[in-house]
Amino acid sequence: MSRLSRWFDPGPLPAQSESRGRDSGLTVLGCLGAAALLWLIEAQGGGYVVHMTTLAGLFAVLAISYNLINGVTGQFSLEPNAFVACGAYVTALLTLSPAEKEMTFILEPLVWPFAVISLSLPVALVIAGLVTTLMAFVMGFPVFRVRGDYLAIVTLGFGEVIRVVANNAQSVTNGPLGLKGIPHLTNIWWAWGLAAVTLFVVMRLVNSSYGRALKAIREDEAAAEAMGINAFWHKMLAFTVSAFFEGVAGGLLGHLITTISPSLFTFFLTFNLLIIIVVGGLGSTTGAVLAAVLFTFGGEWLRVVEEPISFLGLDIPGIPGMRMVVFSLILMAFMIFARQGILGKHEFSWRWLLGLVRRRGGRA
Amino acid sequence: MTPSDLLRVDGLTCRFGGLLAVDSLSFVLGQGQLMGLIGPNGAGKTTVFNLLAGAVRPTGGRVFYREHEITGKKAHRINRLGLARTFQNIRLFGELSALDNVLVGFHGHLQANFLSAILRLPGYVAAERQMLSRSAELLDLVGLGELKDERAGNLAYGQQRLLEIARALATRPSLLLLDEPAAGMNPQETAQLAVLVRRLRDELGLTILLIEHDMHFVMNLCETLVVLDHGKVIARGEPAAVRCDPGVIEAYLGVEVDLDACEAPGA
Amino acid sequence: MDALQQIINGLTLGSLYALIAIGYTMVYGILRLINFAHGDVLMVGCYIAWFGATMFGLPWWAALMGSMALTALLGVLIDQGAYRPLRKAPRISALITAIGVSFLLENLGLVVFGGRPKAFERPEIFNQLLQWGDLRVLSLSLWVPVITALILAGLLFIIHRTRLGMAMRALSRDLVTVQLMGIDTNRVVAATFALGSALAAAGGIFWAMKYPQINPLMGVLPGLKAFVAAVLGGIGNVTGALLGGLLLGMCEILLVAWLPELAGYRDALAFVLLIGILIFRPSGIMGEELPE
Repeated sequence: MSRLSRWFDPGPLPAQSESRGRDSGLTVLGCLGAAALLWLIEAQGGGYVVHMTTLAGLFAVLAISYNLINGVTGQFSLEPNAFVACGAYVTALLTLSPAEKEMTFILEPLVWPFAVISLSLPVALVIAGLVTTLMAFVMGFPVFRVRGDYLAIVTLGFGEVIRVVANNAQSVTNGPLGLKGIPHLTNIWWAWGLAAVTLFVVMRLVNSSYGRALKAIREDEAAAEAMGINAFWHKMLAFTVSAFFEGVAGGLLGHLITTISPSLFTFFLTFNLLIIIVVGGLGSTTGAVLAAVLFTFGGEWLRVVEEPISFLGLDIPGIPGMRMVVFSLILMAFMIFARQGILGKHEFSWRWLLGLVRRRGGRA
Repeated sequence: MTPSDLLRVDGLTCRFGGLLAVDSLSFVLGQGQLMGLIGPNGAGKTTVFNLLAGAVRPTGGRVFYREHEITGKKAHRINRLGLARTFQNIRLFGELSALDNVLVGFHGHLQANFLSAILRLPGYVAAERQMLSRSAELLDLVGLGELKDERAGNLAYGQQRLLEIARALATRPSLLLLDEPAAGMNPQETAQLAVLVRRLRDELGLTILLIEHDMHFVMNLCETLVVLDHGKVIARGEPAAVRCDPGVIEAYLGVEVDLDACEAPGA
Repeated sequence: MDALQQIINGLTLGSLYALIAIGYTMVYGILRLINFAHGDVLMVGCYIAWFGATMFGLPWWAALMGSMALTALLGVLIDQGAYRPLRKAPRISALITAIGVSFLLENLGLVVFGGRPKAFERPEIFNQLLQWGDLRVLSLSLWVPVITALILAGLLFIIHRTRLGMAMRALSRDLVTVQLMGIDTNRVVAATFALGSALAAAGGIFWAMKYPQINPLMGVLPGLKAFVAAVLGGIGNVTGALLGGLLLGMCEILLVAWLPELAGYRDALAFVLLIGILIFRPSGIMGEELPE
């Protein structure tokens, strides 16, 4: 055997690239800068700005997760409203005190495990994330039997089923009345802390061998299978990871707006996330974060075009107004004229930023 | 099936509606053999590859790989057993870099689970670094070392064919199915490809089954040929014998065949 | 008697689903595009008819005809403006655009027509209460299946006996080849959108007469369910859409009749059926191959 067979056997490990140390340093600096900015917003910005910033953080979590299955893995699905709903309900049912729950559930009493327990928010969030993951896991079996448009419709159907269940399963969800008086526990740090964790986990996953496999499935599923990749389980991986974070974000969303009902989790929510990931560039995780922030604050700015001032935030569906007309037009315009979105399939990287700065500096 | 047989195909049949694409095909491929599968357009050659690699379920017949029956098994399982392929209509992961395409090939053998990948546990980090250096070596082997960061979709046609071979090699096969590897290559590239294919067999001990239309390439490279027409085997044997088979000449009529060579057997 | 009553109800509802499903199935057959906006096109058709009847005092049949014509035009405009630029783009891009069109129509509807439902008057001929013993049926419930059958017969005639229909059938087999043969595919696609949208308007108007009110979001659920009906019947197949629509309508009515405690889950039934069909018989009742 010649030297050609070497890649079959273990050999000496190559050295690490020299730019990694610099990049990690810059990332730490960037995180500190972002934390300082959040601290400044919390200290100086009014309650409204803080609320919107918190909401932007949650939208960033949802967009990163949604992009993992839609953009990175290329499985165009329409179910995040179901996962967010699941997370929101489970968390709220776990954190509300038994007395409050008894007061809320007038028509039909709440079922057993929820009726008697009351947990702290972090524990409740983890449980909600796991329950949502389990739901995604069960859903994944029928869902990933189909592809393309059918996948979109089946997942949309699941979202509808969850909404109908939330409306009807009175003894768990309190029906159309929903849950009220959820403690306002979500602050800017919870939202952006979760966003940081989600970004970290998803970026690590995407930039690993598993991430390459997910992208390979997006590019050509049959070829990926021929290269020994079990497409079903990899799709399931992306789906459940994204469901976990969507569930946790749903829990935080409930504890931000303090009242949840089935009408909050319609397809409208999914539509907003779809706009975000399309604008950010399908497949770009950092683009999703950027677009989530743009969308939340851009949506506020767009209120100018809308006469009656609506209350709360973007998370309330069914606001009659021009804003949604504009959003729909933006989505269509991006699809027709700028399908790549802001970042395309690329990611923000320090090398790119430094290169940009250097080029600018060179020109000056 | 003798111990040295790597692949045994037994009455393999595939029907698409009314069309009999492959009609009870049988052959045995010994360890370390270099076999060519040839035939006119539409003879069913690529369908045979799809059947062997698990992309299409056969209507009848059986396929054995080593001691495993792989008839109708899923493509990824067949690949993991050691059978890798390239595609006639190049199916690279176009948006990924050349290096990433090869790295994807290694993924199936990754031992570390996704949690250790996210947490970058030592086991995963070591495996990743290993995959990186092996992938670079594979790219060097097929002559694409310089282009590892290029988007696969941007490579020239011949380079894409070579990248497909490197990606298939990354899955650590014992049997390699090459579907028209020389298509679209210029004579110089084709000559280099022939050298590469022979090295894969001689130096790595790979068994190779290839489909090719370039008769010069096939006749010089392969030790045995199976000739298909309308899904049926019409001839098999050594290139010299197959070349002069009247049935083959008839099937290929209109296609360039070196008839002169037949008049002086052994030439 | 009760069973007969339920069958008539199911037949009526099923016919409405079928009328809407046909538009989905025709567009899908040719472009492989789920025209998400189909249900909202239906809503616009209803508003056009409403304006025709209440503002211009048109008789119901004139409002229906006018609405079908204008809705057909809307369908063509949507295709030309939003989908045509994406013919060569990845299929998912067109699907996302279709979702955008759907939301655009819904929200324009909210802005222009307002969110409050409008009463939709039932014409005299459809408003008679017929009674045989225990059986009480609104004349509309009997007319709807009849009209659906007539429309379907006309459509099948167009598809199988005219040049346009021939081009449509050819297109649904192989768009590229048909293009190469010198047929103006864009005109055929436009005609498909026109026909499908006109049928959606008709379906929507009878839907509106049944419930009798309209609102800007009324098209969402019938649209989604009609799509499920189209898949049930085997997407791309017009007769299949009819069967799928009838099956779905019957199932919904029977669920409510037999298991009244589950009546609240009625809107989820379509999707449960869809998931079941995709698992056990992905090609639908009529057996068209399910494309990748």
